[in-house]
Amino acid sequence: MNPFALIIIMLTVVLGTLIVMTSSHWLMVWIGFEMNMLAIIPILMKKYNPRSMEACTKYFLTQATASMLLMLAITINLVHSGQWSTMKPLDPTASIVMTLAMAMKLGLAPFHFWVPEVAQGIQLSSGLILLTWQKLAPMSILYQISPTINSTLILTLSILSVAVGGWGGLNQTQLRKIMAYSSIAHMGWMTAAMMFSPMMALLNLVIYIILTTTTLMMFMMNSTTTTLSLSHTWNKTPLLTTAILATLLSLGGLPPLSGFLPKWMIIQELTKNDNIILPTFMVITALLNLFFYMRLTYSTSLTTFPSTNNMKLKWQLNPTKTTIYLPPLIILSTLILPLSPMLILLE
Amino acid sequence: MTYIVFILSTMFVVGFLGFSSKPSPIYGGVGLIISGGVGCGIVMNFDGSFLGLMVFLIYLGGMMVVFGYTTAMATELYPEVWISNKAVLGGLMVGLVMELVLVFYVLGEVYGDVVTEFSDLGDWVVYDMEDYGFVNSEAVGVSSLYSYGAWLIVVTGWSLFVGVVVIMEITRGG
Repeated sequence: MNPFALIIIMLTVVLGTLIVMTSSHWLMVWIGFEMNMLAIIPILMKKYNPRSMEACTKYFLTQATASMLLMLAITINLVHSGQWSTMKPLDPTASIVMTLAMAMKLGLAPFHFWVPEVAQGIQLSSGLILLTWQKLAPMSILYQISPTINSTLILTLSILSVAVGGWGGLNQTQLRKIMAYSSIAHMGWMTAAMMFSPMMALLNLVIYIILTTTTLMMFMMNSTTTTLSLSHTWNKTPLLTTAILATLLSLGGLPPLSGFLPKWMIIQELTKNDNIILPTFMVITALLNLFFYMRLTYSTSLTTFPSTNNMKLKWQLNPTKTTIYLPPLIILSTLILPLSPMLILLE
Repeated sequence: MTYIVFILSTMFVVGFLGFSSKPSPIYGGVGLIISGGVGCGIVMNFDGSFLGLMVFLIYLGGMMVVFGYTTAMATELYPEVWISNKAVLGGLMVGLVMELVLVFYVLGEVYGDVVTEFSDLGDWVVYDMEDYGFVNSEAVGVSSLYSYGAWLIVVTGWSLFVGVVVIMEITRGG
C-alpha cells in the first residue's frame, strides 16, 4: 500500500478507538466506532484475492449491524433520559441493546460466527490488529456501562462464549482459526469478570492482548498458518520452539505463567460473590482450550516433527524477518505472575 | 395534522421496507428516494426547513444520483422486482404486516402516554433552554455546530476524507 495512505489509515484506526474510549457524548462514541471500522477494512484487505474480500465483507456487515444496534441503544437512552452524556447511568433497555451491540463487536457467542471466518481470510498481521486492537474500544464501552449491565444477559453471553471457544477450537488445524476461538473464549472470561469486578476484566484484556500479540508475532516470524508448518519451527528457529511452548501454555492459563493471573483473579472475584457453579464451568471449558494449545505444543516443541530433507537446513540461512519487540513480549507473557501482589494497589 | 409526523414516519418505514426486502438495487433506489423525501418532511415538521432541504439537495441530489448511476452501470440481465421473487415478496409482506401491527398498537393508545410524546418536542431539542429572540432555533443549532461542535466538524471532516482514501485503496485492485 502507498505509505501515505497507510499512515492515514492507521492513524484513523487509532483515532477511532481513542475517540470511543475518551468521549463523553454518545454520538462521538458511535462516530469513533464507525471511523475505526471504515479504516480497518483496507488493512484487512492487504491481499486482493476473493477470500480476503469475503472476509472484509463479513467483518463490515457484522460490525455495521453492531454500530446500528449501538445507535438504537443511544436513541433509546436519549428518549428516556433526555441527554447524551456517557457519565450518567443508562436506561435498562438501552443497556441491554448496547450490551448486545458490544457483544457483536467483540465476537461473543452467539454472535461469534464471523470471528473464525474473518481471521482465516486475512493476513497474520491483519489478524493481529483484529484480535487485539479492535477489542479495546468495545471493552472500554462495556467498562463504562458496567454498573447498569443486565447480569442475566452478560452471564449468558459469557457462558456461551467460553463453551463455544473451547469446543469450537478442538477440530481446527489452521492457526488463525485457533486464535479466533481463543479470542472468543477469553472474551467470555472478560465479560464474566465485568459483572463483578470490571478491573479484573481490564486485567484480563491487557494480559490477553500481550499473549495474543506474542503468539501471533511468533507465527508471523515463521510465516506459519497451519499446525503442520508450525511443526517445522525446530528446523527454522529452534530457540523459538521453547518460546512457543511457554506462550501457548500461558495462553491456556497454566500456573506459574502469566496467563494464570487473570483466570485466578476472576475466579477469586466470582467466588467472593458466592458464585461457585459458574467459575467451575468456566475452568472446565478452559481445559478444552488448553487441550488444543497442548496439541500445538506437542507437534511443535515436544516432538521433533518429521520433515523433508530440504527443510532440515533452513536454520543455517540468515533470518530475513525482523522480530519487533518479541523478546520483551515473551518475557511479559510468561513471567508476570510474581507481580500479582501488586494488585493489592487496586483495593 | 397533529399526527402528520406519525404518518410520515410510517411512510418512512414502508419506504425502507422497499429496499430492505432486497430487490435489485435499481428498484431499491426508489425506496431510498421515497424515504429521503419523507424524511425531509419529518425534519421540516420540527422547524428544520434548512436541514430538510439539505436532505433533498445533498442526500438525494448528490449521493442518490451517484448511487443511481452506479447501479445503472452494474445492472444485471434479469433484475429482481418486488413481485418477481417469492423471497422478496415474502420479506416485504412480513415487514408490512409488522408495521401495520405497530401502527394499530400505537393508535390504540391514542388517549395514553405515547401520543403526547409525539407532540411534545421538549425531549428532542437540546438547546431549548436559552431564548434566541426572533432567530429560528434550527439556525442556532446549525451555527452552534461550528462553534460548540468544532470537534465534531473536525472528526466528521476527517472521516469523510478517510472514507475516500479507504474506498480508493480498496477498489485499486492488485
